[in-house]
Amino acid sequence: MTTTETPATTATAPTTSARRLTTAKAMVEGIAQEMERDPSVFYLGEDVGAYGGIFSSTTGLLERFGPERVMDTPISESAFLGLAIGAAVEGMRPIAELMFVDFFGVCMDQLYNHMAKIHYESGGNVRVPMVVTTAVGGGYSDGAQHSQCLWGTFAHLPGMKIVVPSTPYDAKGLMTAAIRDDNPVVYMFHKGVMGLPWMAKNPRATGPVPEEPYEVPIGRAAVVREGGDATVVTVSLSVHHALDVAEELAADGIDLEVVDLRSLKPLDRETVLASVAKTGRLLVVDEDYLSYGLSGEIAATVAETDPGLLRSPMRRVAVPDVPIPYAHPLEYAVLPTRDRIREAVHHLVRA
Amino acid sequence: MTEVLFPQLSDQDPDGEGVLATWFVDDGATVAGGELIAEVMVGKVTSEVIAPVPGAIHLKVKEDDVVRQGSVIATIS
Repeated sequence: MTTTETPATTATAPTTSARRLTTAKAMVEGIAQEMERDPSVFYLGEDVGAYGGIFSSTTGLLERFGPERVMDTPISESAFLGLAIGAAVEGMRPIAELMFVDFFGVCMDQLYNHMAKIHYESGGNVRVPMVVTTAVGGGYSDGAQHSQCLWGTFAHLPGMKIVVPSTPYDAKGLMTAAIRDDNPVVYMFHKGVMGLPWMAKNPRATGPVPEEPYEVPIGRAAVVREGGDATVVTVSLSVHHALDVAEELAADGIDLEVVDLRSLKPLDRETVLASVAKTGRLLVVDEDYLSYGLSGEIAATVAETDPGLLRSPMRRVAVPDVPIPYAHPLEYAVLPTRDRIREAVHHLVRA
Repeated sequence: MTEVLFPQLSDQDPDGEGVLATWFVDDGATVAGGELIAEVMVGKVTSEVIAPVPGAIHLKVKEDDVVRQGSVIATIS
Protein backbone atom coordinates (compact mmCIF):
# COMPACT_ATOMS: atom_id res chain seq x y z
CA MET A 1 0.00 0.00 0.00
CA THR A 2 1.36 3.41 -0.84
CA THR A 3 1.24 6.12 1.74
CA THR A 4 0.12 9.60 0.88
CA GLU A 5 2.69 11.93 2.36
CA THR A 6 0.72 15.02 3.15
CA PRO A 7 2.15 17.19 5.88
CA ALA A 8 -0.33 17.50 8.70
CA THR A 9 -0.95 20.89 10.17
CA THR A 10 -1.40 19.44 13.65
CA ALA A 11 -1.45 15.90 14.98
CA THR A 12 -3.57 16.48 18.06
CA ALA A 13 -6.33 18.84 18.99
CA PRO A 14 -5.37 22.36 19.95
CA THR A 15 -6.06 23.15 23.58
CA THR A 16 -7.65 26.47 22.77
CA SER A 17 -10.06 26.88 19.92
CA ALA A 18 -13.10 29.04 20.22
CA ARG A 19 -15.43 26.84 18.28
CA ARG A 20 -16.79 23.52 19.52
CA LEU A 21 -18.65 20.88 17.53
CA THR A 22 -20.01 17.42 18.12
CA THR A 23 -18.16 14.56 16.44
CA ALA A 24 -21.04 14.12 13.96
CA LYS A 25 -20.93 17.78 12.92
CA ALA A 26 -17.14 17.70 12.64
CA MET A 27 -17.33 14.64 10.40
CA VAL A 28 -19.93 16.32 8.16
CA GLU A 29 -17.82 19.48 7.97
CA GLY A 30 -14.82 17.44 6.82
CA ILE A 31 -16.89 15.80 4.08
CA ALA A 32 -18.48 19.09 2.99
CA GLN A 33 -15.17 20.93 2.74
CA GLU A 34 -13.68 18.19 0.56
CA MET A 35 -16.81 18.09 -1.63
CA GLU A 36 -16.47 21.85 -1.99
CA ARG A 37 -12.79 21.57 -2.94
CA ASP A 38 -12.96 18.50 -5.18
CA PRO A 39 -15.89 17.84 -7.55
CA SER A 40 -14.96 14.15 -7.81
CA VAL A 41 -15.99 13.53 -4.19
CA PHE A 42 -19.53 12.21 -3.73
CA TYR A 43 -21.44 10.33 -1.00
CA LEU A 44 -23.79 7.39 -1.35
CA GLY A 45 -25.56 5.00 0.96
CA GLU A 46 -28.80 4.16 2.70
CA ASP A 47 -30.64 7.16 4.19
CA VAL A 48 -27.69 9.49 3.67
CA GLY A 49 -29.79 12.01 1.69
CA ALA A 50 -33.00 13.48 3.08
CA TYR A 51 -32.58 11.67 6.40
CA GLY A 52 -29.01 12.93 6.81
CA GLY A 53 -27.60 9.60 7.95
CA ILE A 54 -29.22 7.64 10.75
CA PHE A 55 -26.32 8.68 13.02
CA SER A 56 -26.10 12.20 11.53
CA SER A 57 -23.03 11.42 9.42
CA THR A 58 -24.37 13.40 6.43
CA THR A 59 -26.75 16.00 7.89
CA GLY A 60 -27.28 18.88 5.46
CA LEU A 61 -25.16 17.49 2.62
CA LEU A 62 -28.10 16.80 0.28
CA GLU A 63 -29.41 20.35 0.68
CA ARG A 64 -25.96 21.72 -0.03
CA PHE A 65 -24.71 19.49 -2.85
CA GLY A 66 -27.85 18.02 -4.43
CA PRO A 67 -28.94 14.48 -5.28
CA GLU A 68 -26.24 13.84 -7.89
CA ARG A 69 -23.52 14.08 -5.27
CA VAL A 70 -25.41 12.83 -2.23
CA MET A 71 -27.21 9.69 -3.32
CA ASP A 72 -29.69 7.56 -1.42
CA THR A 73 -29.31 3.95 -2.43
CA PRO A 74 -31.64 0.98 -2.17
CA ILE A 75 -30.87 -1.64 0.49
CA SER A 76 -28.30 -3.23 -1.79
CA GLU A 77 -24.87 -2.99 -0.13
CA SER A 78 -23.11 -5.26 -2.60
CA ALA A 79 -24.40 -3.21 -5.54
CA PHE A 80 -23.67 0.27 -4.25
CA LEU A 81 -20.26 -0.62 -2.82
CA GLY A 82 -19.45 -2.16 -6.19
CA LEU A 83 -20.66 1.05 -7.81
CA ALA A 84 -18.33 3.05 -5.58
CA ILE A 85 -15.36 0.82 -6.41
CA GLY A 86 -16.03 1.22 -10.13
CA ALA A 87 -16.33 4.98 -9.76
CA ALA A 88 -13.08 5.12 -7.76
CA VAL A 89 -11.22 3.07 -10.35
CA GLU A 90 -12.45 5.54 -12.99
CA GLY A 91 -11.08 8.51 -11.06
CA MET A 92 -13.90 9.62 -8.76
CA ARG A 93 -13.51 9.81 -4.98
CA PRO A 94 -16.62 8.15 -3.61
CA ILE A 95 -17.57 7.87 0.04
CA ALA A 96 -19.90 4.90 0.51
CA GLU A 97 -21.70 4.38 3.79
CA LEU A 98 -22.35 0.92 5.15
CA MET A 99 -25.09 1.87 7.61
CA PHE A 100 -23.96 -0.58 10.31
CA VAL A 101 -20.67 -2.47 10.10
CA ASP A 102 -22.66 -5.53 11.19
CA PHE A 103 -24.06 -5.64 7.64
CA PHE A 104 -20.66 -6.33 6.07
CA GLY A 105 -21.66 -9.94 5.51
CA VAL A 106 -23.81 -9.07 2.50
CA CYS A 107 -21.10 -7.06 0.72
CA MET A 108 -17.73 -8.34 1.93
CA ASP A 109 -16.70 -9.74 -1.44
CA GLN A 110 -16.82 -6.23 -2.89
CA LEU A 111 -14.79 -4.87 0.03
CA TYR A 112 -12.04 -7.38 0.71
CA ASN A 113 -11.70 -9.10 -2.66
CA HIS A 114 -12.16 -6.08 -4.92
CA MET A 115 -11.79 -2.73 -3.15
CA ALA A 116 -8.84 -3.96 -1.10
CA LYS A 117 -7.06 -5.91 -3.83
CA ILE A 118 -7.38 -4.04 -7.13
CA HIS A 119 -4.40 -1.79 -6.37
CA TYR A 120 -2.27 -4.84 -5.53
CA GLU A 121 -3.45 -7.00 -8.41
CA SER A 122 -2.80 -4.22 -10.90
CA GLY A 123 0.73 -3.77 -9.63
CA GLY A 124 -0.19 -0.34 -8.38
CA ASN A 125 -1.41 0.78 -11.79
CA VAL A 126 -5.03 1.11 -10.74
CA ARG A 127 -5.87 3.15 -7.69
CA VAL A 128 -9.03 2.86 -5.60
CA PRO A 129 -9.33 6.21 -3.82
CA MET A 130 -12.53 5.61 -1.89
CA VAL A 131 -13.78 5.82 1.68
CA VAL A 132 -16.19 3.41 3.33
CA THR A 133 -17.90 5.01 6.32
CA THR A 134 -19.63 2.73 8.78
CA ALA A 135 -21.26 2.98 12.21
CA VAL A 136 -19.93 0.68 14.91
CA GLY A 137 -20.42 -0.11 18.56
CA GLY A 138 -23.05 -0.88 21.14
CA GLY A 139 -24.31 0.29 24.48
CA TYR A 140 -27.86 1.24 23.55
CA SER A 141 -29.67 -2.12 23.35
CA ASP A 142 -29.62 -2.53 19.59
CA GLY A 143 -28.94 -6.25 19.75
CA ALA A 144 -26.38 -8.66 18.42
CA GLN A 145 -26.64 -7.59 14.75
CA HIS A 146 -26.39 -3.81 15.28
CA SER A 147 -23.82 -3.39 18.07
CA GLN A 148 -20.54 -4.85 16.91
CA CYS A 149 -17.25 -3.07 16.26
CA LEU A 150 -15.59 -5.64 13.96
CA TRP A 151 -12.55 -3.47 13.27
CA GLY A 152 -10.35 -6.45 14.04
CA THR A 153 -12.04 -8.34 11.21
CA PHE A 154 -11.37 -5.54 8.73
CA ALA A 155 -7.85 -4.83 9.97
CA HIS A 156 -6.97 -8.49 9.58
CA LEU A 157 -7.49 -8.26 5.83
CA PRO A 158 -4.76 -6.60 3.77
CA GLY A 159 -5.30 -3.72 1.39
CA MET A 160 -7.40 -1.18 3.24
CA LYS A 161 -6.56 1.47 5.79
CA ILE A 162 -8.70 1.60 8.93
CA VAL A 163 -9.34 4.78 10.91
CA VAL A 164 -11.41 5.02 14.09
CA PRO A 165 -11.76 8.55 15.48
CA SER A 166 -12.78 9.20 19.08
CA THR A 167 -12.95 13.02 19.12
CA PRO A 168 -14.54 15.75 17.00
CA TYR A 169 -11.07 17.04 16.06
CA ASP A 170 -9.87 13.64 14.85
CA ALA A 171 -13.20 12.90 13.16
CA LYS A 172 -12.80 15.88 10.85
CA GLY A 173 -9.06 15.51 10.31
CA LEU A 174 -9.17 11.78 9.65
CA MET A 175 -12.12 12.24 7.28
CA THR A 176 -10.18 14.84 5.29
CA ALA A 177 -7.11 12.59 5.21
CA ALA A 178 -9.21 9.56 4.23
CA ILE A 179 -10.86 11.35 1.31
CA ARG A 180 -7.51 12.67 0.04
CA ASP A 181 -5.79 9.29 0.39
CA ASP A 182 -5.37 7.34 -2.85
CA ASN A 183 -6.02 4.04 -1.06
CA PRO A 184 -9.29 2.58 0.17
CA VAL A 185 -9.91 3.75 3.72
CA VAL A 186 -12.53 2.33 6.07
CA TYR A 187 -13.73 5.05 8.44
CA MET A 188 -15.43 3.52 11.49
CA PHE A 189 -17.42 5.89 13.69
CA HIS A 190 -18.81 4.74 17.01
CA LYS A 191 -22.40 5.85 17.57
CA GLY A 192 -21.46 6.75 21.15
CA VAL A 193 -18.83 9.32 20.16
CA MET A 194 -21.03 11.23 17.70
CA GLY A 195 -22.63 13.53 20.29
CA LEU A 196 -26.15 12.66 19.19
CA PRO A 197 -28.80 14.25 21.43
CA TRP A 198 -30.89 11.06 21.52
CA MET A 199 -28.02 8.80 22.61
CA ALA A 200 -26.45 8.56 26.08
CA LYS A 201 -24.93 11.90 27.03
CA ASN A 202 -21.18 12.01 26.37
CA PRO A 203 -19.42 15.30 27.17
CA ARG A 204 -16.26 14.08 25.40
CA ALA A 205 -18.22 13.94 22.13
CA THR A 206 -18.16 17.75 21.91
CA GLY A 207 -14.84 19.52 21.47
CA PRO A 208 -12.76 22.14 19.67
CA VAL A 209 -12.64 21.89 15.88
CA PRO A 210 -10.81 24.39 13.65
CA GLU A 211 -12.97 25.82 10.88
CA GLU A 212 -10.34 25.49 8.17
CA PRO A 213 -9.60 22.11 6.50
CA TYR A 214 -6.80 20.06 8.10
CA GLU A 215 -5.62 16.47 8.11
CA VAL A 216 -4.95 14.12 11.00
CA PRO A 217 -2.33 11.75 9.59
CA ILE A 218 -3.53 8.19 9.08
CA GLY A 219 -1.39 5.69 10.99
CA ARG A 220 -0.43 7.90 13.89
CA ALA A 221 -1.68 7.32 17.44
CA ALA A 222 -2.05 10.06 20.03
CA VAL A 223 -1.03 10.00 23.68
CA VAL A 224 -4.18 11.65 24.98
CA ARG A 225 -3.12 11.52 28.62
CA GLU A 226 0.39 11.25 29.96
CA GLY A 227 1.13 9.14 33.02
CA GLY A 228 3.81 6.94 34.51
CA ASP A 229 2.12 3.98 36.23
CA ALA A 230 0.49 2.04 33.39
CA THR A 231 -0.37 2.38 29.71
CA VAL A 232 -3.93 1.96 28.48
CA VAL A 233 -3.99 1.33 24.74
CA THR A 234 -7.44 1.75 23.29
CA VAL A 235 -9.55 3.23 20.50
CA SER A 236 -12.93 4.88 19.84
CA LEU A 237 -15.50 5.19 22.65
CA SER A 238 -13.26 3.21 25.00
CA VAL A 239 -10.81 6.15 24.89
CA HIS A 240 -13.47 8.23 26.62
CA HIS A 241 -14.04 5.54 29.25
CA ALA A 242 -10.29 5.15 29.79
CA LEU A 243 -9.89 8.91 30.28
CA ASP A 244 -12.79 8.95 32.76
CA VAL A 245 -11.17 6.14 34.75
CA ALA A 246 -7.75 7.80 34.55
CA GLU A 247 -9.14 11.03 36.00
CA GLU A 248 -10.85 9.09 38.79
CA LEU A 249 -7.78 7.01 39.66
CA ALA A 250 -5.51 10.03 39.67
CA ALA A 251 -7.19 10.89 42.98
CA ASP A 252 -6.00 7.51 44.32
CA GLY A 253 -2.46 8.22 43.18
CA ILE A 254 -2.59 5.96 40.11
CA ASP A 255 -1.26 7.80 37.11
CA LEU A 256 -2.44 6.31 33.79
CA GLU A 257 -1.14 7.03 30.32
CA VAL A 258 -3.84 6.68 27.65
CA VAL A 259 -2.97 5.98 24.02
CA ASP A 260 -5.71 6.58 21.43
CA LEU A 261 -4.67 4.49 18.45
CA ARG A 262 -6.92 6.50 16.06
CA SER A 263 -5.81 4.31 13.13
CA LEU A 264 -5.71 0.52 13.23
CA LYS A 265 -4.11 0.17 9.82
CA PRO A 266 -1.41 1.23 9.58
CA LEU A 267 -0.95 0.64 13.33
CA ASP A 268 1.34 3.05 15.17
CA ARG A 269 3.35 0.41 17.03
CA GLU A 270 6.13 2.88 17.90
CA THR A 271 3.86 5.03 20.06
CA VAL A 272 2.56 1.94 21.88
CA LEU A 273 6.07 0.61 22.49
CA ALA A 274 7.40 3.97 23.66
CA SER A 275 4.60 4.26 26.18
CA VAL A 276 4.99 0.68 27.46
CA ALA A 277 8.75 1.22 27.73
CA LYS A 278 8.00 4.19 29.95
CA THR A 279 5.34 2.67 32.23
CA GLY A 280 6.19 -1.05 32.15
CA ARG A 281 2.52 -1.97 32.42
CA LEU A 282 -0.03 -2.50 29.66
CA LEU A 283 -3.80 -2.74 29.54
CA VAL A 284 -5.56 -2.98 26.18
CA VAL A 285 -9.21 -1.93 26.14
CA ASP A 286 -11.12 -2.98 23.04
CA GLU A 287 -14.86 -2.97 22.32
CA ASP A 288 -14.31 -5.64 19.66
CA TYR A 289 -14.23 -9.36 20.47
CA LEU A 290 -11.42 -10.59 22.69
CA SER A 291 -9.91 -13.41 20.67
CA TYR A 292 -7.83 -13.08 17.49
CA GLY A 293 -8.11 -9.29 17.45
CA LEU A 294 -6.69 -5.87 18.30
CA SER A 295 -5.78 -6.73 21.89
CA GLY A 296 -3.80 -9.77 20.78
CA GLU A 297 -2.07 -7.70 18.08
CA ILE A 298 -0.92 -5.14 20.65
CA ALA A 299 0.31 -7.93 22.93
CA ALA A 300 2.23 -9.48 20.05
CA THR A 301 3.78 -6.13 19.20
CA VAL A 302 5.26 -5.89 22.69
CA ALA A 303 6.23 -9.56 22.89
CA GLU A 304 7.98 -9.52 19.50
CA THR A 305 9.89 -6.36 20.29
CA ASP A 306 10.94 -6.86 23.90
CA PRO A 307 8.86 -8.82 26.41
CA GLY A 308 11.18 -7.35 29.05
CA LEU A 309 9.39 -4.02 28.69
CA LEU A 310 6.62 -5.40 30.91
CA ARG A 311 7.08 -5.41 34.68
CA SER A 312 3.85 -7.40 35.12
CA PRO A 313 1.66 -9.49 32.81
CA MET A 314 -0.40 -7.34 30.43
CA ARG A 315 -4.17 -7.41 30.68
CA ARG A 316 -7.04 -7.16 28.24
CA VAL A 317 -10.56 -5.79 28.63
CA ALA A 318 -12.61 -6.65 25.58
CA VAL A 319 -15.94 -8.21 24.62
CA PRO A 320 -15.80 -11.90 25.53
CA ASP A 321 -16.41 -14.11 22.53
CA VAL A 322 -20.21 -13.91 22.59
CA PRO A 323 -22.73 -11.94 20.52
CA ILE A 324 -23.65 -8.58 22.11
CA PRO A 325 -26.77 -9.10 24.26
CA TYR A 326 -29.88 -6.93 23.83
CA ALA A 327 -30.80 -6.83 27.53
CA HIS A 328 -29.18 -3.78 29.11
CA PRO A 329 -27.59 -5.48 32.16
CA LEU A 330 -26.24 -8.30 30.01
CA GLU A 331 -24.95 -5.92 27.36
CA TYR A 332 -23.11 -3.89 29.98
CA ALA A 333 -21.70 -7.11 31.42
CA VAL A 334 -19.79 -7.73 28.19
CA LEU A 335 -18.90 -4.18 27.08
CA PRO A 336 -15.59 -2.65 28.23
CA THR A 337 -17.18 -0.46 30.89
CA ARG A 338 -15.44 1.93 33.25
CA ASP A 339 -15.94 -0.62 36.04
CA ARG A 340 -14.15 -3.34 34.10
CA ILE A 341 -11.34 -0.95 33.12
CA ARG A 342 -10.90 0.25 36.72
CA GLU A 343 -10.77 -3.31 38.04
CA ALA A 344 -8.21 -4.32 35.42
CA VAL A 345 -6.03 -1.32 36.27
CA HIS A 346 -6.10 -2.23 39.96
CA HIS A 347 -4.98 -5.78 39.17
CA LEU A 348 -2.32 -4.45 36.82
CA VAL A 349 -0.70 -1.96 39.19
CA ARG A 350 -0.81 -4.35 42.15
CA ALA A 351 0.81 -7.19 40.21
CA MET B 1 -30.59 42.70 24.38
CA THR B 2 -31.82 39.93 22.10
CA GLU B 3 -33.62 36.87 23.40
CA VAL B 4 -32.80 33.47 21.92
CA LEU B 5 -35.82 31.18 21.92
CA PHE B 6 -36.15 27.42 21.94
CA PRO B 7 -37.26 26.74 18.34
CA GLN B 8 -40.76 25.51 17.51
CA LEU B 9 -40.12 21.95 16.32
CA SER B 10 -43.51 20.29 16.80
CA ASP B 11 -46.55 21.73 14.99
CA GLN B 12 -48.86 19.11 16.51
CA ASP B 13 -47.82 20.00 20.02
CA PRO B 14 -46.79 23.67 19.96
CA ASP B 15 -46.73 23.88 23.75
CA GLY B 16 -44.72 20.67 24.04
CA GLU B 17 -41.42 20.46 25.82
CA GLY B 18 -37.97 19.66 24.48
CA VAL B 19 -34.45 19.25 25.79
CA LEU B 20 -31.46 21.55 25.52
CA ALA B 21 -29.09 18.82 24.34
CA THR B 22 -25.78 20.62 23.84
CA TRP B 23 -24.40 24.07 24.43
CA PHE B 24 -21.53 24.77 22.06
CA VAL B 25 -20.65 28.04 23.81
CA ASP B 26 -19.93 28.91 27.43
CA ASP B 27 -21.90 31.35 29.51
CA GLY B 28 -20.50 34.84 28.98
CA ALA B 29 -18.74 33.97 25.70
CA THR B 30 -18.69 36.38 22.80
CA VAL B 31 -20.55 34.92 19.84
CA ALA B 32 -20.66 35.93 16.20
CA GLY B 33 -23.96 36.41 14.38
CA GLY B 34 -24.83 33.13 12.63
CA GLU B 35 -22.64 31.05 14.91
CA LEU B 36 -23.86 27.62 16.03
CA ILE B 37 -24.62 27.96 19.73
CA ALA B 38 -26.79 24.96 20.66
CA GLU B 39 -28.52 21.79 19.61
CA VAL B 40 -32.02 21.09 20.89
CA MET B 41 -34.36 18.15 20.63
CA VAL B 42 -38.11 17.51 20.76
CA GLY B 43 -38.83 13.80 20.75
CA LYS B 44 -36.16 12.52 18.38
CA VAL B 45 -36.25 15.62 16.19
CA THR B 46 -33.16 17.75 16.62
CA SER B 47 -32.42 21.28 15.53
CA GLU B 48 -29.49 23.64 15.62
CA VAL B 49 -29.79 27.04 17.28
CA ILE B 50 -27.87 29.85 15.62
CA ALA B 51 -26.95 33.16 17.26
CA PRO B 52 -29.27 35.76 15.68
CA VAL B 53 -26.95 38.67 16.53
CA PRO B 54 -23.34 39.07 17.73
CA GLY B 55 -22.56 39.85 21.35
CA ALA B 56 -22.00 38.41 24.80
CA ILE B 57 -24.24 35.41 25.43
CA HIS B 58 -25.87 34.59 28.74
CA LEU B 59 -27.25 31.06 29.05
CA LYS B 60 -30.61 30.80 30.80
CA VAL B 61 -30.93 27.01 30.86
CA LYS B 62 -28.49 24.16 31.44
CA GLU B 63 -27.70 21.17 29.25
CA ASP B 64 -30.29 18.42 29.66
CA ASP B 65 -32.87 20.88 31.02
CA VAL B 66 -36.42 20.27 29.82
CA VAL B 67 -37.64 23.46 28.14
CA ARG B 68 -40.98 24.50 26.64
CA GLN B 69 -40.77 25.34 22.94
CA GLY B 70 -40.66 29.08 22.37
CA SER B 71 -39.23 29.92 25.79
CA VAL B 72 -36.05 31.91 26.29
CA ILE B 73 -32.87 29.81 26.44
CA ALA B 74 -30.31 32.64 26.26
CA THR B 75 -29.89 36.36 25.84
CA ILE B 76 -27.28 38.15 23.74
CA SER B 77 -26.26 41.71 24.61
